[in-house]
Amino acid sequence: MDTLGWLDILGRIAVQLLPVWVALVAVFAISITFKRRLGLYGKLFDSNVGMVGFALVMFWVFAAVFADWIITHDPLAQISGMRNATPGSPLRDPDGRYEYFLLGGDALARDVFSRMVMGAREVLRIAPFAAMISFMIGITLGLPAGYIGGRFDTGLTFVANLVLAFPVILLFFLLVAPEIQETAIPRVMAGVLFIVPVIFFTVLLNARFFTQPAKRNLYVGGVLLVGLWAYSGLAFNADPLGVWGMSPNLLNVFVAVVFVNSPTVFRIVRGITLDIKTRDYVAAAQTRGEGPWYIMLWEILPNARGPLIVDFCLRIGYTTILLGTLGFFGLGVAPESPDWGSTINQGRRLLTIYPHAALAPALALMSLVLGLNLLADGLREESLKD
Amino acid sequence: MSDKKRKATELHSAARLYARECEEGKLSRREFLTRATALGVAAPAAYGLLGLTAPAARADTPQMGGTLRIQMDVRAQRDPRTWDWSELANACRGWLEYLVQYNRDGTITPVLLEDWEANEDATEYTLMVRQGVTWNNGDALTAEHIRHNFERWCDASVEGNSMASRLGALMEDGQLRDDAVEVVDDHTVRLHLSSPDVTIIANLADYPAAVVHPEFSGDPIRDPIGTGPYRPVSYETGIRAVVERNPDHTWWNEGNGAWIDRVEFIDLGTDPAAWVASAEGGEIDMLYETTGDFIDIFTAIGMVETEAVTSATLAVRFNQDSEPYDNRNVRRALQMAVNNAEVLELGYNDRGIAGENHHVCPIHPEYAELPPIEMDREAAVAMLEAEGHGDTEFELISSDETFHADTCDNIAAQIRAAGISIRRTILPGATFWNDWLTYPFSATSWAMRPLGVQVLNLAYRSGEAWNESAFSNAEFDELLAEANGIADADERRVVMERLQLIMQEEGLVILPYWRSLYRHARPNVHNAEMHPTFEVHFQNYWMS
Amino acid sequence: MLLFLIRRTGVMIVTALCLTFVVFYLTNLPAKLETLAKTQAGTRISDAEVVTWLDRNGYGQPMLVRYGEWLGVMPGWTREVSDEVMDGRCYRAYDLREPGSAPTRCGLFQGYWGESTRFRATVAEVIPTRLGATGLLMMWALIVMVPMALVVGVAAGMREGSRTDRSLSTFAIASTATPEYVSGVVFIALLASSTAGLSPLLAQWGWIDGPVLFQGNARSALEKITFWNFTLPVLTIALYGMGYIARITRASMTEVMTQQYIRTARLKGVSFANIVLRHALRNALIAPFTVIMLQIPWLLTGVVIVEVLFSYPGFGWTLFEAAVNNDIELLLAASVVAVIVVLLTQLISDIGYVYLNPRIRVT
Repeated sequence: MDTLGWLDILGRIAVQLLPVWVALVAVFAISITFKRRLGLYGKLFDSNVGMVGFALVMFWVFAAVFADWIITHDPLAQISGMRNATPGSPLRDPDGRYEYFLLGGDALARDVFSRMVMGAREVLRIAPFAAMISFMIGITLGLPAGYIGGRFDTGLTFVANLVLAFPVILLFFLLVAPEIQETAIPRVMAGVLFIVPVIFFTVLLNARFFTQPAKRNLYVGGVLLVGLWAYSGLAFNADPLGVWGMSPNLLNVFVAVVFVNSPTVFRIVRGITLDIKTRDYVAAAQTRGEGPWYIMLWEILPNARGPLIVDFCLRIGYTTILLGTLGFFGLGVAPESPDWGSTINQGRRLLTIYPHAALAPALALMSLVLGLNLLADGLREESLKD
Repeated sequence: MSDKKRKATELHSAARLYARECEEGKLSRREFLTRATALGVAAPAAYGLLGLTAPAARADTPQMGGTLRIQMDVRAQRDPRTWDWSELANACRGWLEYLVQYNRDGTITPVLLEDWEANEDATEYTLMVRQGVTWNNGDALTAEHIRHNFERWCDASVEGNSMASRLGALMEDGQLRDDAVEVVDDHTVRLHLSSPDVTIIANLADYPAAVVHPEFSGDPIRDPIGTGPYRPVSYETGIRAVVERNPDHTWWNEGNGAWIDRVEFIDLGTDPAAWVASAEGGEIDMLYETTGDFIDIFTAIGMVETEAVTSATLAVRFNQDSEPYDNRNVRRALQMAVNNAEVLELGYNDRGIAGENHHVCPIHPEYAELPPIEMDREAAVAMLEAEGHGDTEFELISSDETFHADTCDNIAAQIRAAGISIRRTILPGATFWNDWLTYPFSATSWAMRPLGVQVLNLAYRSGEAWNESAFSNAEFDELLAEANGIADADERRVVMERLQLIMQEEGLVILPYWRSLYRHARPNVHNAEMHPTFEVHFQNYWMS
Repeated sequence: MLLFLIRRTGVMIVTALCLTFVVFYLTNLPAKLETLAKTQAGTRISDAEVVTWLDRNGYGQPMLVRYGEWLGVMPGWTREVSDEVMDGRCYRAYDLREPGSAPTRCGLFQGYWGESTRFRATVAEVIPTRLGATGLLMMWALIVMVPMALVVGVAAGMREGSRTDRSLSTFAIASTATPEYVSGVVFIALLASSTAGLSPLLAQWGWIDGPVLFQGNARSALEKITFWNFTLPVLTIALYGMGYIARITRASMTEVMTQQYIRTARLKGVSFANIVLRHALRNALIAPFTVIMLQIPWLLTGVVIVEVLFSYPGFGWTLFEAAVNNDIELLLAASVVAVIVVLLTQLISDIGYVYLNPRIRVT
C-alpha cells in the first residue's frame, strides 16, 4: 500500500471525527434556535468571536467524549515498523487493524492521531476539574474575606500572597516529586482542599433553605452524601464502592495545580466582593436581616458571575498550559500517557526531522487554549452589554 | 607504549591458550586481546600470537594545537575512588593517569606501569612501575606511591568507594590486607591475592582507579597533582570545565600525545536536542555519547559517527523477594510475552544485538550458545492464569532516562498486547536509585565488563550487595565459584552453559539487548572514536 | 510613605521566613535526603553508607535545629575528625580545620548563605552571577516585549471593533495561547536548524555564512551576547508575555477613548493622531504599567523554561538544577530572591500607580 496524500489524510480524519461534527452541528443548531431563552449562554451566539471560541472548545470536548469511537489504534500499542512513520504511512501488517497511521507514528511507533485524540480526554479530565475546585476554594474563602474583612481577611490575604510569592516551578518541583508521594503531604492537602467544595455546597443550600427545614435537610443531606462519598475516594482513596479514585500520581499533580490556582481566584473574588458589598441591594438585604452567608452566596456571588466565568475559561486554558509545563520538566505525568504536554515534550526533540509527533499535540493544545481565550472574550463582551 | 621486548615463550600460558581459542573461532579477537593483555602480554605480542601486527596507532602525522570543545556532563567533582560516572574521570584524565588503560580494540596497555606479569594461577601479580615519571609538583613516581594508592582503594570505610568492591582479593576487614601489596624495590610492586582473580588488571583500568599523589586531599580540581600533561583551568559544575596543556611540567610520554592545547567540556544539560542546536551553531566539536534517533541527526548535520560494540545492557529484572515475582512461573510467563528483537527495534533503534534473558554476552569469551528463546503470548497468558494471576496488574518501574523509558514502554506495550494488564512508573533519575535494589519489577542499566563472570559475581550471587533480583540459588553459587577458578575460557564455558541455563529457567531477567554505543565528532577531530567504557583519551586526539 | 515602606519590608521578611521554612521542610524529607546522599556520595551506595554520609555531613540533626543553623540562630554542627582536625558547618564555611578556630554560629544572620551541593561553590558566589545573566535576558525580553505590546494594544484599542482591532486582538490571544515550550521549539526548528526551516534555504542562496541563521543554543551568550545567539530566547519569552500586556493595553485604551474629554477634544477638531498621542496615551498606560511590573515575577516561570531549553545558565536554570538535585541551601536562597523580586515589583507597581494616577494616594 502507498502512503496517503495530504488530502486523503484530511479526508480520513474528517471521517473519523464524524461523531464530533454531528454533535457540534446539533449543539449549534439548538443553541442558535433558542438563543433568546438561554441567558448569557445564548448571547454568546451573537458574537462571532464567542462562537468561534465555543466551537473550538466544544470540538475538543466532543473529541474527548467520543474518543473511543474516533481513535484508529490503541494509543499505547507500539506497532513494529512504524517508528517515526510519516503521516499517512500504511501499516506493514494491518492484521485487522486500521491500515494507516493517519498522522504518522511517534518515536515509539504509536499512532500520533489516536494519542492526540486520547490526549484531549486526559487534558479535559484534569484542567476544568482542577479549575473548578480552585474556584470553589477561592470563592469560599474570598467572599468572607472581602465581606467580613478584619483579621480574617488579613490572615487569608497574607497566606494567599505567600503562595503567590513562590515561583510556580519551584512549587511544582517541591510538590510533584515522587518522594513527596510517599509522605502524607498530598493526602493531607487533598483532604483540606477537597473538603471545601462539600462545605461550599452545604453552606450554599443551607443559607438558602434554612427556613424550610424539610427541603434543606433533603438537599443538604444529598450533597453531604454524594460529596463525602466522592471526597473519601478522591482524597483518601478510601471509597467503599470504588467508584471514585485517583492514582497517587494524578492526585499529586491535581493538588499542586489547585494549590497554585486558588490564591489568584481568592484575590479576584475578594476584590469583587469589596466592590459589590457597597451596593444598595446588599444594604437592602442587610436591612431585611439576611444572614451573612446568604448575602455572600445569594446576593454577591450571582452579581460577580460575569468576571468569574470569564476568568474560569481563561484559567482552564492556563491550567492546560501549566500541565504541559509539568510535562516539559518531566514532572508528575503518568508514563505513556497521551496527554498533550508530555507528548509535545517527547516529540519536540525530534522536531527538525519528524515534526508531526510534536506538532499534532502542540496544535491541539494551542487551539484549545485559543478557543478558551476567545470564548472568554466573547463572554466578556456580551456580559458587558447588559 | 610498546617498549617491551618479551618473547612469545615467556608469555603467560593462559594467553597462548586464548590465542588458540581465538584461532579456532571460540574467542573473538577483541576478547582475546583483553584477556591476553590482562595477563601481562604486551599488545603487540598479543597481536603477534594471532600472527598479526599491531595496527599503526596513527595513520597521519598529528598536528599540534587547537581547542577541542566536547559536550559532556560536568558533574560535581569528588575523590576519584568514589567516582560513579565516567564523566568525572574524563574531566581529570589530563593530569590523573592510570596504571593501565583499556583500549578501544580490547587491549589493555600499560600507562604508569612499564609492564606487569601474573603467576601461573593468577594469585600473584608483579607490577613494574614506569621509570622517569614525575608528578607535576616535581616528585618522582615510586612504588611507595603505588602502594599508597592501593591502600586508598581498599578503604571500604569511605562511602561510595567502589574500588573496594573491585579489589576484594587484596582486602581484609574493609582495609588493605597488611601483606597484600609488597613493595619490592623503588619501581616494583607485588600483589598477593587471597584467591585467584584474573580480572584484577582490568579492574585497575576502570575509571575510579586514577593514581593520585600521597599528599592528595580529595578534590582533584583544587589539588591537581598528577602525572599527566594537562592541568585544570576552571571547573564550573553543570556549566563547563576547561583543561589546558601544562607548560610547567614535562610529561613522561612527551612527543607521543597531548597535541591539543586546550580542551573544553561543555555541559549542555541532558536534552540531546540542545546538543544538536549547539552543534549546528558550531559551538561544540565532539559529543560524549549520542543515542537513539540523534545518532542519525548528528550524522546528517555532517559529524562523523563512531561505534563501539559492548556488553552494556538494560536488565529488566524481577525481585524475587516481592509478590508475585517470588513465583517462578509468573516471571517466566512475563518473559515469554516479550519479543527481545522487537524491544531492540522499538526501544533501542535496532542498535545492538538481541539478548537471551541471561546476563552473559556473545562477546564474552566464556559465552555458550543456547537454543533460541521462545516467545509465546498465548502460553504466557495461560501460565499466568494457571498461577491465579490472570487479572493481576503488574507494574514496571524505570528511570526517566530516554532509552530506559523507551525500552520499558515497549516491554509494557508487548505484555499488554498479550492481554496481560501492566502499568508503567517512571521516576526521575536521581530518585530512581533510592530503592533500585528493592523495586519488584524494574530496569537497571549495567555497564560493559570484559568477562562474563564479572557481572554474575556482582549481581546474581546470593547475598551480594548489588543482587537486585534477590536471586539465591545454591547450585548457581557453587557453579559460579567453580567458574571463577577456571582460567581456561573453553573449560569455563561448560560451567557457563549451565549457569546461563539456570538464569533462563529461573526467569531472572528480561534482558532484551546488548547495546552498541555511539559518539560523533567533527571530521577535523582525529583519534576520537567511541570507547566501549566511555573514556575520553583526549591526550591522544588531535585536530586538523 | 516611610511607614508604608517599613510595613512592606516587614511583610517581606515574614513572607521570606515562612517560605524558606516550607522549602526547608520539603527539601529535608528523609527520602529527599537519601537522594541527596546518593547524588553526592555515589549512586549505588548502600543504605548504611547513606546514613553515615548524612551523619558526617550534619544532616543527622532534627530539622528545626538545622533550619536554625541555616538562619544562624543555632550553633552550627561540629564533628571531631582527629585531635587537630575539626569538621563542621562553620569550619567548612570559612575553610578552617583547627579546633576552636571557627565561629559557633554561621548562617543568614552572620551573612553566610551556605554552600551549594550541586555547584560546589558558596551560594553567595552562585546566585549573583546567575541573577546577572537572567537580568540581561529579562532586560532584552522587556525591551522587545513592552513596546511591541503597547503598540499592538494601542493600535487595537484606538478604534474598537475595527478590522485592525480584530486581527491584532486575535494575534495577541494566539500569542498567549502558545506556551514557551512550543514556541521556543518551533523557533529553533524554523530558524536554527541546518536541515529544516529557513536556514537551509538561506544558506543555499548564499545569504548566510554558517549553516544556520540563529544559534539554537544560548550557552555562548554567557561570554558574549550577540544578536545571533540571544534572539531566539528573548523572542520566546517576549512572545508569550506580550499578548497579555497587549490585551490589557487594548482594554484600557478602549475605555479611555470613550471618555468625555476625548470626545470634547474630537469635537474641538484635534487630529486623531494628536488625540491618541497627547490625550489618551498617558491615561491608557496606567493599567499596563502595573501589569508589566506584576508580569515580571510571572515571567520567571517562562524564564526557567527558556533557560533550560536554550541551556543558558541564569537564575531560572539554577533554580531548575537546584530543584532537580535537591540543593537545599541554594533553593532556600533562590526562594528568598524570588520573594524579594515578587514583593519588590508589587511595591514598584503600587508606587508607580500613585505616580501615574494623581487621584490615588498611598496611605
